[in-house]
Amino acid sequence: MDIPYTVTSRPDTGLYNAKIGIWLFLASEVMLFGGLFSAYIFLRVGADYPWPVWDLDVKLGFWNTVFLIISSVTVVMAWASIKLRKYTQYKLCMLATIACAAIFMVNKSMEYAKKFQHYAVKLTDGTILTGHLPHGYQVKFENVDALELTIVGSNKAVDADPVNHVLSSVVGDVPKFKFPSGEEKELNKATFGELRKSMRDAAFAKMQDERAKMIEAAEKAASVATTDFAKYEAARKLTIAKNYHSLSDTKVKLIPSAPLKIAAKPSQFFGYTDTSLTFVDGTIATGKLVDDKMTLEVDGVDTRAVAQSEQSLAFDHRYLGEGWQKAFVANRDHHIADFEKKYPTRDKAKSATLQKESLFFKEFHSAEPPAAGEAHGGKHGAEAHAPADSHGHEAYHPTVVIEKKDITFFSNFTPKLNTYYAIYFTLTGLHGLHVVAGAGVLAYFLFFNGRMLREDPEHLANRVEVGGLFWHFVDLVWIFLFPLLYLL
Amino acid sequence: MSDNIEEIQKSVRKYIIIGIALLALSGFTVWLSTVELPTHGLNILVGMIVATFKASLVALIFMHLNHERPVIYKVLAFTVAFAIVLFVLFILSAQDPLVFEGFYNRNE
Repeated sequence: MDIPYTVTSRPDTGLYNAKIGIWLFLASEVMLFGGLFSAYIFLRVGADYPWPVWDLDVKLGFWNTVFLIISSVTVVMAWASIKLRKYTQYKLCMLATIACAAIFMVNKSMEYAKKFQHYAVKLTDGTILTGHLPHGYQVKFENVDALELTIVGSNKAVDADPVNHVLSSVVGDVPKFKFPSGEEKELNKATFGELRKSMRDAAFAKMQDERAKMIEAAEKAASVATTDFAKYEAARKLTIAKNYHSLSDTKVKLIPSAPLKIAAKPSQFFGYTDTSLTFVDGTIATGKLVDDKMTLEVDGVDTRAVAQSEQSLAFDHRYLGEGWQKAFVANRDHHIADFEKKYPTRDKAKSATLQKESLFFKEFHSAEPPAAGEAHGGKHGAEAHAPADSHGHEAYHPTVVIEKKDITFFSNFTPKLNTYYAIYFTLTGLHGLHVVAGAGVLAYFLFFNGRMLREDPEHLANRVEVGGLFWHFVDLVWIFLFPLLYLL
Repeated sequence: MSDNIEEIQKSVRKYIIIGIALLALSGFTVWLSTVELPTHGLNILVGMIVATFKASLVALIFMHLNHERPVIYKVLAFTVAFAIVLFVLFILSAQDPLVFEGFYNRNE
C-alpha cells in the first residue's frame, strides 16, 4: 500500500503528511529541550558557587555556531535546488551540510576530551586549584602483609573479587599467597574460585547445622507444650526454623609470601586509613600508607570562596609560595583599580566579572613566578622568560604536591564537579545526539535516494524539507545553548 | 511554503542574507557578553533577547513559519504556551522561606 499524501497536500490539513508529522515531533522536541532549559534555570538560580562564565573555549563554541548556521543555509538551499531542478547544486549543498555536522562533532569531542583531562581540586579553605595531573593520582601503600577478604553468603553488591579489583594495583610481581588451608598458591581466578567455593560450602554446612538445631529445639518445645499459647509459640518457632536459610559472610585472610606494594587509583578503592586500604570489592589490605599526595600542574587558582583571598592555602609555602602570592595580589589589585576607574559608582562585590578576573588567577605562564616588576598583566614578560621546552608543557605551569589533608574534593571537569558541568554535559550531549541523527537522515537522502531524485523529485524535495526542518531545530537549540553555556 | 519557481529563486538570495545576518549576530552576542552592564542579569537578558531574535529568524525564514498553514500554528501555540510555563517555573522557588541571596550579594 502506498503511503498517501507524500507529495500532494491532504485536503483537510492543507499539508503533505510528513510535514504535519515533523511539526508534531518538533513540538515534542521543544518540550524535551524546554524541560532541560528549565532545569538549567533552576540549577543556576540555586547555585551556591559562582556560575562559570567564559569557562569553556569560546572560540571553539563560536566556530561551532558558525558551522551550524552555514549548514542551516545549505540545507534550505538543498531543498530550493531540488525545487529548481538544479541537481548538482542540491548534492553539493547536502554534502556541505553533512561536512558542517562532522566538523561540529569533531570540535565537540575535542572540547569534551579537554574537560575529561582537566582537574579541579578543592582545598579545605575553599580555594579551588585547577590544572592537570601529569601522573594521574594514586594512593600508595607499602609493607602490605595481609589481604582480608569478605566472602559474602548470599548475593550482595559488594563481594570479594581480589583477582579483578586488587591485583591490578599491586606494584611489581605478584607473589604467592598463603591460603587458609596453609598452602602457598598463586592468587588467580581458579585458586580464588576454589577458595570461595570451599568457604560457601562451609557456610552452607554451618547454616544446615544451625537449622537442624533450631528445628529440634522447636519440636522439643512443642512436645512439652501444655497451654495454647506455648503450643502457638512452639509452632511459630518451628516455622521460623524451617525458613531459616541465611548464609553468613566468611572473612578470610591471605598472607603474601613477600610484603606487597600497592598503588591504587581512586576508582579502585572505597577509602583508606594510615594502616589499611579498602578496595571496592570490600577487600582490606593492611600495611603502611606511604604516599597519598597529589601532584598537580596548576593553571588556575580560584579564591572566590576564600574570605581573605591572599591568605589562600594555595599560597602556603608548601605550595605556590610567596612569589605567586605577590603575582596574585598585583593582578587582583590591578583589576580592582581598573574597575574602580571605569565604573566608579558600581558595587565591586556584585560584579561577577570583576570577582572572576581579580580572584580567579590564571596567569601561570611559566613554572616560576614572575619578578616583582612584571607582576601584573605581565603576560608577555613572563612568557618571554618561560624556560625552554625541556619538560614538555610542564615548564609553563608551576607544579605543586598537595597533601591529602588539605583536599576536600577533587574531580575532572565532568558532571561530578558541579551542577554547571552536569547540565552542560546533559544539554550538549543531547544536542550532539541530535546533530548526529539529523546528519544521518540527510546523508541517507543524499546517498540512498538517488532514484527518487531522478524519478520523483517532488517527493524527495518534501523529504529534504522535513529533514531540513529538523536540522533547523538543531541549529535553533544551539543558538540558545551557545550564549547560555559559553558566554553569559 | 511556496511552490512557485520564481518565488523560490528569490528566496535563495534571502536565505543567504539571513545566514550572514545570523553570523553577524553571533559575533555581536560574543562581543556583547564582554560588555560589563550594570548587572550580570542585564547581560543575560540582552543576550537572550538577541538569541530569541536569531531563533525567530531561523524559525520564520528557514523553517518557513512566516507563511504556513493554520494547523501548524495551532500545534505550536500549545508548545509555546507550555514552554513558557517551564521557563517561569523557577519563580516558584522564590517562595522558599530560606532564601539564598546569590553568591555575590553577601554583605562583606
